[in-house]
Amino acid sequence: MGTIATLALFEMKVHIRNRWVLVFAFVFGFTAVAIAAFGLATAGVAGFQGFARTTASLLNLALYVIPLVSLMMGTMSFAGEKNAGELLFVQPIARESLVWGKLLGLMLSIAIATGSGFGLAGMIIAARVGSAGVTRYLLFVGHALLLALAFLALGILVAIASARKPRAFGYALFLWFFFVLFYDLLVIGLTFLVPEPIANRLVFLSLFGNPVDLVRVSGFMTLDNPTIFGAAGVMLVKFFGGEGWAHVALIVGTILWGILPAWLAQGLLRRQDI
Amino acid sequence: MIEVEHVVKVFEGVRAVDDVSLRVRAGETFALLGPNGSGKTTLLKCLMGLLKPNSGCIRVRGIEVGSDPRAALSLMSYLPQRVAFPEGLTVREVLAFYARLRGERSERIARVCHQLRLDLEELSNRPIGTLSSGLLQRVGLAVALLAEVPIFVLDEPTVSLDPEGVRRLRAVLAELREKGRTILFSSHVLSDVETLADRVAVLVHGKLVALESVEGLRDHWRQNALTRVHLWNPNERFVELAHRHGASEARLLGSSLLFRSKASDRLAILRALEAGGARIETFWTPEPSLEEVYWNHVGKRSAGDALDRGDRVPESATTAGRAPSE
Repeated sequence: MGTIATLALFEMKVHIRNRWVLVFAFVFGFTAVAIAAFGLATAGVAGFQGFARTTASLLNLALYVIPLVSLMMGTMSFAGEKNAGELLFVQPIARESLVWGKLLGLMLSIAIATGSGFGLAGMIIAARVGSAGVTRYLLFVGHALLLALAFLALGILVAIASARKPRAFGYALFLWFFFVLFYDLLVIGLTFLVPEPIANRLVFLSLFGNPVDLVRVSGFMTLDNPTIFGAAGVMLVKFFGGEGWAHVALIVGTILWGILPAWLAQGLLRRQDI
Repeated sequence: MIEVEHVVKVFEGVRAVDDVSLRVRAGETFALLGPNGSGKTTLLKCLMGLLKPNSGCIRVRGIEVGSDPRAALSLMSYLPQRVAFPEGLTVREVLAFYARLRGERSERIARVCHQLRLDLEELSNRPIGTLSSGLLQRVGLAVALLAEVPIFVLDEPTVSLDPEGVRRLRAVLAELREKGRTILFSSHVLSDVETLADRVAVLVHGKLVALESVEGLRDHWRQNALTRVHLWNPNERFVELAHRHGASEARLLGSSLLFRSKASDRLAILRALEAGGARIETFWTPEPSLEEVYWNHVGKRSAGDALDRGDRVPESATTAGRAPSE
């Protein structure tokens, strides 16, 4: 077994054993079932709602929760390690392998939590209302994992770049606020300062500067709802020559958000004192 | 085997390691001795590639640690001062993980646990979080010993160990020595250094203040050792006499005259005292313990201070005699 795989399996085992995976699987599963069960209550209708409506509600929720959880996990895995994990750093393995191994292990842990949580919830929903729209639900789980990848990598980068653990968590929280809450406000503010054609282009390009936006747009595209993003959405589809290619671009953009911070993190760690 | 050349490591303006150079020979057990904050751990961390020196270089079997850390680390195994493992995992899982990282077979785990008297059957399903600090340190030691490498680097290995752990550690180190392994360890426990080390380097405030064999350090100390002379007729005049015949330091303490001198001057001073009217009952020069030598180097305490306070000098550790004329 390769070094990265050994590290990843060890990391995954740690998160399974400390029940973190179980807790999140429960939270994800319970939320999905609750949304499906009570989603129609506001319309005065009793009973389970189908996969399509449940997925739309879950996507909105996931855009807040997954980045926070992933940032914290990524930060914790290295901020603790630098002080206490000397034994790991003195093994004859490249420090780059440590970053990729931990990222992969964390990804596997989140995949197990989301897969089992949403999987079990999906089975309950399917048993109550049938499997119509289940593909969208599965694509949503895929999007949630992509979002997790991007923010795990950002969490690892923050942990490695920060000298102290509390500071690392401070920066991680700042990143969450920035990407989830402030970024869009900032872009909207900027659009008021420039002429409309440039503003549309700015909104379109700004999508690639925020993994949350990439997943949001990509997720809503799978729900057959790209027009929700107005002129920027139209420009996106037009620029990439169709919805399919636009979708691919958004997914590649999100994956790059998972790779680039990890790549920067390994460069930093290689030169760093432990 | 290990060459440290002019290594400097600075933390926020403080020179934690200050121009240290030393060589550890193959098959040697080498101790780094010094008080807390003297730079021992920093130097070991530089050797293990955990810290990057500001200047200087460290080579292990000719491989520069800074430029090829993986190759250098493949020759060494390290036990940090404090070990930490994920608390939810069992001892067996942790050992299996590190064995896999080192490319060692799983049979090696059983052998190392047997060496350290770690009951693997009892511990195999025990979570790390339930272990005592002494047992945890023994697991750390087991991880360090899993690697079949020529060099073992141990940072304060006895600090958190229980007495049984210390006994096992000493036995294991003796085995490693017999096998010709090189051992570099840091300690401020002088008895460990005295019993285990071939050579010792004393670090104070990041500087190397002594580098010799344990016996060599003692010899060095003997060259300027303190002699205690019991007199029937103590008199301030004898202090002056001792000074005149080569004592670097002399004083009266009750009925005793204490003087510090080179070994070659000792007899001449005693004869001069006798010729000057001193009636000598007994005299002795204490055999220095490593502790005295060490404290002399760190500048905090000397054997003379100990004698001034009237500390008992064990008879077995003295070079005693009657008056020189007898």
